[in-house]
Amino acid sequence: MPERETVQTLCRMCDDRCAINVYLEDGKIVDIDGYKEHPWNRGRLCVKARAAVDMVYHPERLLKPLKRTKRGFEEIPLQQALDEIAERLLAIKDKHGARSISIWKGEAIGFAQEEDMARRFVHALGSPNYFSNDSMCYNGRYFGYRLVEGSWPVPDYENSRCVVIWGANPPHAHPNMTQMIMRARKAGAKLIVVDPRMSAIARQADLHADLKPGTDGALALGLIQQLIETQGYDREFVEHYTVGFTELAEYAKAFSPERVEEQTGVAAAVVRELARTIAAAAPRVAVYVGNGPEHHENGINNIRAVACLDAILGALDREGGNRLVEGFKANHLTLYDEIPLEHLGPIGADRFPVLYGFRQECHTMTGINTILSGEPYPIRAMILTAANPALTNPNTLKVREALGSLDLFVVRDLFMTPTAELADYVLPAASFLERVELHTHAKYQRITMTRKILKFPDVQDEYQFWHDLAHRLGIGEYFPWEDETELTRWILEPTDISLERAAAHPEGIEYTPIRYRKWEKEPFNTPSGKVEFSSQYLKDLGYPALPEYKPPAYLESPDPEYPFVLITGARKLIYYHSRFRNIKRFRTAIPGPEVELHPEDAAALGVADGDSIRITSRIGSVEVPAKIKSAVEILPGTLQMTHGWKEANVNLLTHDDRFDPISGFPLMKAVEVQVENV
Amino acid sequence: MRIVEVDPTSCVACRNCEYACAFKQTGDFDIKDSNIRVNFYPEERACIPWTCVHCGEGWCMEVCPAGAILRNPETGAVEIDANHCAGCKMCLLACPSGSIHFDKVELVSKKCDLCGGDPACVKFCTSGALQFVEEEEAYSFRRESLDNKLKRLFGLNKRGS
Ligand code: SF4
Ligand code: SF4
Repeated sequence: MPERETVQTLCRMCDDRCAINVYLEDGKIVDIDGYKEHPWNRGRLCVKARAAVDMVYHPERLLKPLKRTKRGFEEIPLQQALDEIAERLLAIKDKHGARSISIWKGEAIGFAQEEDMARRFVHALGSPNYFSNDSMCYNGRYFGYRLVEGSWPVPDYENSRCVVIWGANPPHAHPNMTQMIMRARKAGAKLIVVDPRMSAIARQADLHADLKPGTDGALALGLIQQLIETQGYDREFVEHYTVGFTELAEYAKAFSPERVEEQTGVAAAVVRELARTIAAAAPRVAVYVGNGPEHHENGINNIRAVACLDAILGALDREGGNRLVEGFKANHLTLYDEIPLEHLGPIGADRFPVLYGFRQECHTMTGINTILSGEPYPIRAMILTAANPALTNPNTLKVREALGSLDLFVVRDLFMTPTAELADYVLPAASFLERVELHTHAKYQRITMTRKILKFPDVQDEYQFWHDLAHRLGIGEYFPWEDETELTRWILEPTDISLERAAAHPEGIEYTPIRYRKWEKEPFNTPSGKVEFSSQYLKDLGYPALPEYKPPAYLESPDPEYPFVLITGARKLIYYHSRFRNIKRFRTAIPGPEVELHPEDAAALGVADGDSIRITSRIGSVEVPAKIKSAVEILPGTLQMTHGWKEANVNLLTHDDRFDPISGFPLMKAVEVQVENV
Repeated sequence: MRIVEVDPTSCVACRNCEYACAFKQTGDFDIKDSNIRVNFYPEERACIPWTCVHCGEGWCMEVCPAGAILRNPETGAVEIDANHCAGCKMCLLACPSGSIHFDKVELVSKKCDLCGGDPACVKFCTSGALQFVEEEEAYSFRRESLDNKLKRLFGLNKRGS
């Protein structure tokens, strides 16, 4: 009889971290299902979770360090790889200075405290150049909300009377959020979905506003205008807890339902009905903004306009509204106070001061240019941990050229990726089932500790890697903990949760009880201490103080050569960005890339379902099979193509020089393209 | 006994349930192998999941000439014994809800067996549209949703916020 064992931990096939039961036989994982006691997922999982079994034992998994040689990649011993990398880093540091060394953090293996380890390492080394995938996802929404409310709140779905899902598709992107939304609906809440496409969540919407891509700000300002005009706003909250209301109200006046219709394509009557619906549910209106509005040239101001709704409805930090999260007051690994390095000119900080100011992140697209140009100073080395910019950053050809030209490029990952193929050294990374770390579920103000269930001989967890490299580079004092368990113990030190207690509670531990209406006693985390409809901080940086709306370029100045508008990056349930294309059964479900289009456009082009079409932008061209949607699922003239496919990489088409001016986020959801039948 | 309750007002046609069931049957994600089927009608914006309800007097059981369809005494599930199935497809015709399909490789009929009492479709339904409930409790959400409407109507004034 094999020895059977069940242990609980968190899934990290995506960043939602659902609680799972892991079933082992003789130390080998044989199955995974949902753990019922954790409030996040209540025992339910998406089908990616079970595929972790396939992932960790995948025949293509990297298990030995690889070094690029004239004959291609060759296996080398781990200690030798670390020695060589350290030696080359020191040589580059001597020649070009510490800031020529950079780190790029990705999504593939899971990031919470690993992100902070990478930030700690690069600062200890004396370089401010920390890059991450957050330059393309998450930061934008965080900035939009932080500017208005002081932080990004969480929707209190279960207590709400109206849920607004704005440019997000939870069933595919945050699967278990769907059950929260449906619980709210069962208790009588209305569901509003704002999305150019009929996404999976829009299938259950009471109202679906299928606006033109990038016009979110016009719709949000239109709702603000209606709420003010019909007196459907929280006068008392606005008076006591906000700044800039008069200016915002004045600015929003121009956004009548008719003007909104003309900009967004959403009928004026629908705009009025949306406003009536949220006003009737106020203050119990929970709004979740997804990645959709981020990838536009006016993205942050559009998101700010949506964020303003919370305060106007009085829904901010009220039951059933959007709740401000109280953080977990543990030790932090970052060294921004101990070793500030802003004077060294973090890449992109001058161009996008909000990006560096709020998140201490450098701008990846500027980083790519810097690698190629050596301006304003050389970036010659990079350690990239589990990101795949050669597929996921805009303008792929340039990204490849830049990463391939580094003097030293080290990639850590679970699998060989198009990015890893450009590296000098490829090191095997540990999956989430091979690491101990803490995760915070902000919605429940709960921390949960994961378990190290597996161990492969030459595969280091993130901490061990940074630790071993730091000790070779003379910065070992910053990595004194023997292993990640000891590190986690240190992180927990200032809290009343011990490592042992965390380990004993796979359902997580509430670190501080949930409270509402904290604004009655505490200021908002904004410069004025109030909700900021108008931002002096932005004004001082030369941006508009109000969340002004600018129509997207494809509407304002259409380019006759590129008459279609391409949305990129809609999520698919089973693929997480560029990951999991090597899980065989996933390929049965979704065998390859495709581009979604409207049946009328398909007819005009003479394209049948599955035919190959060529899409061309000013940046490049790809060929991809057409997926003809039903007429109600996508707007005419609009295409959608999901990222992450090396067979047809949509980022061969995307611009790396058209940004939201505040966040530096690239334009990826309204790219002007031409389409031909091939 | 417990059955899989389906709620078309929560389903988003994400197909987690079909993948999870197909995986259980064959180790692959071909949704044709799934014993639960989800139909999505974009024009009507309708998502309809459906699977066997394990009828009290299953017509499939009655019609099966090979006596291959039996009730599992532990779970109450109506199950097809593949070793006895003759492949005559009578049960497909008899089932009023189309919950049986034919496996053209194995040449036998296939249907839901409640995974032995822990149905995978329910565990992987992230919307909560599928619930595994006692049959007398099934579809009580219909009553609850009416209650909720009434609660809102009559309880509104008492709610402080
Ligand atoms: S949503 Fe799916 S992949 Fe993401 S953590 Fe949950 S089970 Fe894992
Ligand atoms: S898993 Fe649930 S929500 Fe998804 S298709 Fe099946 S029944 Fe519908």
